[in-house]
Amino acid sequence: MAAPGQLVSVFCQHAGAALTQAAGVYWYKTAKDPEAVVLTATLDSYIHRVTVVSKRRTKEDTWKSEELRKHLRASQPDSQNEDRKHREKKPQKEKSVHDTDTHKHDHKDRGKSKERTRERERFKSSERDREKMRERERAKEHQREGDRERYKDKLQESSLEKERYSVPKDKERESDREREKKHKRHEIKQIDTENNLKSFEGRDKEHHRRRESRHHLKEEKTRSEERERRRAEKKDNDAKKSTDKFLAYSVEEGEHVQKLQKNQELDKEGERRHREKKEHSVRPGKERLSKERSHKRYEKEEEEKHKSRRSKEGSSHGDREGQPAEANERVKSRENERMKRDLKSSGYETEERIQEEMSYQHARTLKDKGKLTEKEERDTRQEKMKDTRISNSDMGFDNFSAEYEDDFEDYEDDFDDYDEDKSGEERDAEENQREIPFSRTSEIEEIQRAISAENDRIHTSLPKKIENEKKEPVMEKQCPSVRNSFCGIFMDFQMANQRQSSRSMASKLKKRSSELLPLIDLDFSVSFSLLDLPPVNEYDMYIRNFGKMNTKQAYVQCNEDNLERDIQTEEVETLEKWTQHPGESALVSGGPINSQGMSVNGALTPKIDSQRLANFLRSACQVIAVLLEEDQVATKPKWKLRSGQTSLPISDSCFQLNTNQPFLHDRKISCLYVSQVQRQTLLSVHGLPEKADVGLLNRKSIICIWNIWQPSSPQKVLICDSEVTCCCFSPNKTALVFAGTIDGSLLVWDLREDSRMHPHMVISETDWTFRVPTFSTDGILNSVTHTSPILAVEPVSTSLYTDQNYGLSSLSYQEEMSSPPFQIASMDENGILNMWVVVELQKVDLAGSQTDLGLIPGGKVKLIHSSTMDLNNSLFPKDVRQRMPQTLTIKFLSSNPNHFIVGTNIGLVGQGTRNDLKVLPKLFRPQQSGLRSISINAIDFFPFGKPLFLVGCSDGSIRLHQMTSEYPLMQWNDSTNGRPIIALQWALTRPAVFFVLDASSSIYIWDLLENDLLPVAKQTIQLANVVTMALLGEPGKTNGLLGIALAKESGQIDIQYVKKKWALPQPEESEKLNLILLQSI
Amino acid sequence: RFKSSTVKECIHAILKEKLANVQYNPEEMPQLTKALSETIKDRLKEEGFDRYKMVVQVVIGEQRGEGVNMAARCFWDADTDSYAHDVFMNDSLFCVVAAFGCFYY
Repeated sequence: MAAPGQLVSVFCQHAGAALTQAAGVYWYKTAKDPEAVVLTATLDSYIHRVTVVSKRRTKEDTWKSEELRKHLRASQPDSQNEDRKHREKKPQKEKSVHDTDTHKHDHKDRGKSKERTRERERFKSSERDREKMRERERAKEHQREGDRERYKDKLQESSLEKERYSVPKDKERESDREREKKHKRHEIKQIDTENNLKSFEGRDKEHHRRRESRHHLKEEKTRSEERERRRAEKKDNDAKKSTDKFLAYSVEEGEHVQKLQKNQELDKEGERRHREKKEHSVRPGKERLSKERSHKRYEKEEEEKHKSRRSKEGSSHGDREGQPAEANERVKSRENERMKRDLKSSGYETEERIQEEMSYQHARTLKDKGKLTEKEERDTRQEKMKDTRISNSDMGFDNFSAEYEDDFEDYEDDFDDYDEDKSGEERDAEENQREIPFSRTSEIEEIQRAISAENDRIHTSLPKKIENEKKEPVMEKQCPSVRNSFCGIFMDFQMANQRQSSRSMASKLKKRSSELLPLIDLDFSVSFSLLDLPPVNEYDMYIRNFGKMNTKQAYVQCNEDNLERDIQTEEVETLEKWTQHPGESALVSGGPINSQGMSVNGALTPKIDSQRLANFLRSACQVIAVLLEEDQVATKPKWKLRSGQTSLPISDSCFQLNTNQPFLHDRKISCLYVSQVQRQTLLSVHGLPEKADVGLLNRKSIICIWNIWQPSSPQKVLICDSEVTCCCFSPNKTALVFAGTIDGSLLVWDLREDSRMHPHMVISETDWTFRVPTFSTDGILNSVTHTSPILAVEPVSTSLYTDQNYGLSSLSYQEEMSSPPFQIASMDENGILNMWVVVELQKVDLAGSQTDLGLIPGGKVKLIHSSTMDLNNSLFPKDVRQRMPQTLTIKFLSSNPNHFIVGTNIGLVGQGTRNDLKVLPKLFRPQQSGLRSISINAIDFFPFGKPLFLVGCSDGSIRLHQMTSEYPLMQWNDSTNGRPIIALQWALTRPAVFFVLDASSSIYIWDLLENDLLPVAKQTIQLANVVTMALLGEPGKTNGLLGIALAKESGQIDIQYVKKKWALPQPEESEKLNLILLQSI
Repeated sequence: RFKSSTVKECIHAILKEKLANVQYNPEEMPQLTKALSETIKDRLKEEGFDRYKMVVQVVIGEQRGEGVNMAARCFWDADTDSYAHDVFMNDSLFCVVAAFGCFYY
């Protein structure tokens, strides 16, 4: 029987874990039961779970051992050895239990209530086991069944751990089968062995929720029985088992049935409670807790009742020691009371209880008798143990009784539902209390005295054990030695005492908690933030790690005021100037010229040769004007047509110079002159108008300068006061115009003069400048000037070699602005020839010259008289002089300007020189001898170098003279039918051709190569009287342009271009002409 | 009554005294936390909160720039139970002490 004790110690050491690992079926089972309780305990008081478990177990073990002992005593006298072994270990167990109890005094109380429930279940199982045993013994078949059932029971018990109230039903159901049988037996074997009765009693009370601690004894006995029996079963149904046992079992079965019935009732109650719990459990956890608490409280109160009863039991046991019979009776009476109480709750059990009581008493006696000397020791021991318990209960009695009623009040408050039961119970308890003083006070006092003595002894010996839990194993070793010296007994007292006090404490606490918990509200709705440490940013981290401590970096940007300002504006240029109004001189404004302005002005105003520019512009203007004129002609066919109409048969084309100017109306053209060097330039002399209409020009003659290429208007207009009889250009250039007037004055016009120097006149929207003569011989040099009208004015070229290169001379002179000085010869009717030198003044005197009275102010050209010749005296011999010859015309020999020929009115042409040298032939005579009054109207030198000249006479005869012979080479009389010849001129382009104009306005064209006797063509101009004729053409050129300018009496000037056959030179024409001339000689 | 302010003062004083010049050392910290918690607990007991069960929690961590967030949540009776906490920091470590007082009915 060593196993249980060892296991107990194992339990002590290993709190809960070892339980399920306990060896053996029995232990396993018993270990299981506590676990069910343990778990319920955890529900109730989770805080102390572990310790409670260990305690519970130990307690249970002790109880079991006690029960076992009793059981052995009662039922198994044969197996005494085994019992003894058990007995020897019991105290040990008890001692250990006490140790733990003392240490865990506080926790015990709660645990106990659960122990009770556990015990109750254990009883059930043990009863069932017994049934099985019996069945086995009766019939082997049942054995197997029993085993099975047992295992089922185990399972059910394990399930009981969870469902304490529901599982029992199952058990009951299982056992229902057997219950019927057992009922029958139970009735038969109502009176049975004592242990059965005892166990029955215990069971019975436990069915009443074990309200009496007294029942522990019996419970323990039953448990020990169970243990014994199981051991027996393990030993294959020990043969020593007595019939009593069987009987007892049968009785137990019967009781069991009853118990089950009660259990059912209790279960109903429990279920009701459970239901309530469940209902409540739906509510929040607090309420559930309070429920559990209330449940606990309920259990507690039950415990308290148990305690009270236990104390009574204890006292009764104490009595039993002295007076067993009395004790039994007392027990009986108490049981009767209990019975009554039970009857109230469950009337139907009354009979059985009476029977039980009866059997109990009987069993007591039997036990006492049956257990012989061997059992006496045990009895005493047991009794002592019981006494200790009783004493404990007595010791705690005062407290207990004091609190007793309070507890009840609490009880009533908390559980109104159970008032009936409780009231009954209370009444019983009160009765018990009352009984105790009456019957046992004296006895109790004695016992208390003894106990106190014993306790004193023990307290001295076992102080350490109480103190330290951890020394339990050591104490267990000590315990066996102390066992025989009643140590266990004393321990029992103390344990009980402590248990009592702890229970009371626990009850107090529970009450408190039950009161408080409803008031307390637990929640975790609020959460607290303990620390919130934000992460450090990288920069701070860097600074913390690498920067200087306790410094902070800051950045400042300086030089903010370093700004640049800029303004861009144009500089104001200033310049000082002055001006005056009205301007008194050429300088009307001026001022200091700064250097910069100088350079700019210098750059802007290049040096200009103003003279050259003026020349250029002048010529250019002419060219451009001519071009424009041509263009205009070309675009005016009508005008051209008109001119075409007027063209003659001898001419290819003709045009008119536009003499239809207002100032030219009604003026007869007296003279035409074509420049020798500029063949296109034509001078036309317009005489005084027949009726004066224009104021300014009323008494003045007009000379127009034409450019035949520009026929629309005269180039320049010259005016003079007297009538102009003859005019000429300067020999080398067209810059000067000379004119002789009828009153013997010689006039000079400088065409280069500024037009501003001359009067202007606006006639028909055109600004005309009428140039006055630059120099006039009128009124000056009276001694030398002509006194008669000037008949001819001839330029005398001073160039000696003009004869040789005649053609080139014009060009050369034209280019030279300051041409070499030349002379002008003027001859009047008296035969006086004056030679004038043309002088250009280098200095212009705007104020006028005091010495040169004939010079216009600002003029630059003046004439200086060089020589005078009386041609009549020097030129003609005496015989001719007698006839009073009159010089009419004079021509200077182009090849030798010193030589000149003079035409007379007596048909003779004299030859003279300027320096009075004798030249031969002195006179050129016509072929007819004798002097006749024939005036020589026209003389023209052969232009191609040979010393030939043509003479046109008023009798219409034409003579061709050779300078070396007195008589003419050829003479053509009557070519014009006796009409006087007005003009005669060699063709400029053909040596053999000359043109003749007679007074009847007929033009005769002579081509000596073709016909040297008669003119080849004759053209009479109709409708108009042609006054004079001039040939236009350039001798050096062979372009075939040969124009005849015909001045009509009406004032018109027609220009006829003769046909090509007379204009274009023929090859070797000069030689042929020479041959003809030679032949004629 | 559990007075948070006084408790906090106590904790603060202790922390100041014990951790003034302590550098974080992972090996020493466990003992330090235990010692601290014991010290604080004892000190609080001296304060005489007889009816209170004290729970003292000490957490020491190294300061490395990381963010830390600590929070607590209690299942208790807010009428009676309370807590106090204090934080101590120096360059190398932070220490959070939370003391919870549960009323003992």
